[in-house]
Amino acid sequence: APSGPGNRGAMAWRAARLLRRGSAAGRRGIAACIDPSVGLTEEQKEFQKVALDFAAKEMAPHMAEWDEKEIFPVETMRKAAQLGFGGIYVKPDVGGSGLSRLDTSVIFEALSTGCTSTTAYMSIHNMCVWMIDTFGNEEQRRRFCPSLCSMEKFASYCLTEPGSGSDAASLLTSAQRTGDTYVLNGSKAFISGGGDTDVYVVMCRTGGPGPKGISCLVLEKGTPGLSFGKKERKVGWNSQPTRAVIFEDCAVPVGNRLGAEGQGFSIAMKGLNGGRINIASCSLGAAHACVLLAQEHLTVRKQFGEPLANNQYLQFGLAEMATRLVAARLMVRNAARALQEGREDAAVLCSMAKLFATDECFVICNQALQMHGGYGYLKDYAVQQFVRDVRVHQILEGTNEVMRMIVARNLLQG
Amino acid sequence: QAIDDDCNQTGQLLAAMLDWPQATFASRVDLEAGAVQVQREVDGGLETLRLRLPALITADLRLNEPRYATLPNIMKAKKKPLEVLDWAALGVPPPLPRLRVLVVEEPPARGGGERVDDVAALVDKLRQCGRI
Repeated sequence: APSGPGNRGAMAWRAARLLRRGSAAGRRGIAACIDPSVGLTEEQKEFQKVALDFAAKEMAPHMAEWDEKEIFPVETMRKAAQLGFGGIYVKPDVGGSGLSRLDTSVIFEALSTGCTSTTAYMSIHNMCVWMIDTFGNEEQRRRFCPSLCSMEKFASYCLTEPGSGSDAASLLTSAQRTGDTYVLNGSKAFISGGGDTDVYVVMCRTGGPGPKGISCLVLEKGTPGLSFGKKERKVGWNSQPTRAVIFEDCAVPVGNRLGAEGQGFSIAMKGLNGGRINIASCSLGAAHACVLLAQEHLTVRKQFGEPLANNQYLQFGLAEMATRLVAARLMVRNAARALQEGREDAAVLCSMAKLFATDECFVICNQALQMHGGYGYLKDYAVQQFVRDVRVHQILEGTNEVMRMIVARNLLQG
Repeated sequence: QAIDDDCNQTGQLLAAMLDWPQATFASRVDLEAGAVQVQREVDGGLETLRLRLPALITADLRLNEPRYATLPNIMKAKKKPLEVLDWAALGVPPPLPRLRVLVVEEPPARGGGERVDDVAALVDKLRQCGRI
C-alpha cells in the first residue's frame, strides 16, 4: 500500500516537487507527453519554474491544513506578491508585472499544483486589480493598484446576487446618485474573500434595467453601510472565505466609479474573459498534480500480485487522463493568446476554454481519486482536495451552461 | 555550482594564489570586525574557523535557502548585457594548460561472484585471495 495516512502534505509536496524538476528529457517520473513547459519561451519557462518552486515549497505542504482549518493564507499570498504574483497582468507603473495572458495562465497553472483554492483566489484578486488598472482613471489607478499589487490589501469581485447568478445583467443592487455620492442598497452573494478583503469592485444599477444600466464602483471595507453575511461552509475552496456582501444606505463617492455610468457590465465581462482563462488554468494545475499522484499510486500499489500499473484498464485510464490534460491545456493557451492579441473571437474562445478545461480537469481529478481506491476517499491523501477544489470551477465565473450559451450565440448569430 | 567539474579545487587554488585565508564547505558565516567566523561541514562533523579579512569562502548547500527569482528580475535578466572579455585586453597572459591526457580506458570487466555457505567459509575465501 502507499505510504500511510498523515503524509498528506508529503504526497502533495512530492507531486509538486516532481513537477519542478528540470526539463522533459530525463526528468524522473515525468512523461514528456504532459510536460507543461512544452511550447513556452525561455522566459516563460523561468516564470513557470519560480511558480512551481513556490507552489512546492510554500503552498503544497500547507494545502491540507488551510483546507481543514479554513485558513486564508495572507502571509503566503503576500510572499507570492513579493515575487510579482499580485498583479501579474497589471501595468508596471502601478506595481504590476506587466506580463501577458499566456504568461499569467502558465503561472496560475503552476501555482495551482501547490494549492488550487488559494491560487484561484489569487486569480480573482488579479482580475480585480486589472479592472481598476484598465478602466480606472489615473487617480484611481494610483490610489488602489499599488497596495493591491503588493497584496498589502486584498480585493473581491462583486457581481452575483441572491436573485441573479447566470442572469447577471438582471442584478438589483441600486446606486442612487445625489450630488457627488452614490448610495448603495442591496446585497451580493457568494463573494470570494468577502469580509476578509479590503477592496470591493461592485457592479450595481445606476440606470435603467438590463446591462446598460449597470456601473462599476470600488469601495473599501469600513465604509459605513457595508457589512457581511456569515461565512459559508463549502465543499472546497476552503482556504478562501465566502460571504454575502450587504449594502445598507452605503455612501460611495462618485470618484470611486470605474469608467462611465452604464459601462459597468462591459467592465465586468471583460474582467471575466481573463478570469475564465485563469480559473481554467487553475483546473489544469490541479489535474496535472492528480495525474502525477495517480501515476505514482499505480506504480506503488499492488493487487493480485502485481503493481496496478500492469493492469491495462488502468493504463488506458491514465492515457485518457493525460490526453484530456494536454487537450485542455492547448484550449486554454490558445484562448490566452487570442485575448492578449485582442482578437475578435477572444471572448468566445475564453468561454470554450473555460468550459472544456474545467469539465475535463474535473474528470481527470475524479478518475485519479478512483484509481486510489479507498485511500482516495481519505483526507490524508491530497487527491480528494483537488477534486473538491476544482468542482466549483465548473460553476463560477460563468457556469459551464452559460459558456455554452455564449458559444451557441456566436455560432448562430453568424 | 562551480564549473570546475566538481573537482573542489577552484576556491582553494584561488586562495593560495592570493595568499588569503580560506574556509570551504561553509554552512554558516558570521561577520565580525575585520574577521569572519565560518562553520564548515567536514567529515568528522562541524569545524569552526575564524579568518582575518580579506578571506575566501566557498559555500555548501546548507548555508542558506536561495531566494526565489521575482518576475520583474526574470524579465530584466534577459536584457542584462553579456560582456565577453579578451585575454589580451586584460594584460594577463592566458593560463597554459597544465594537464595532458595520457590515456583513457575502461576498468577491467567485473567477474562473477561466488556464494559461500557460512561465515567461516567466507573468511577462508577472503584469506585465499589475499584480501585479509
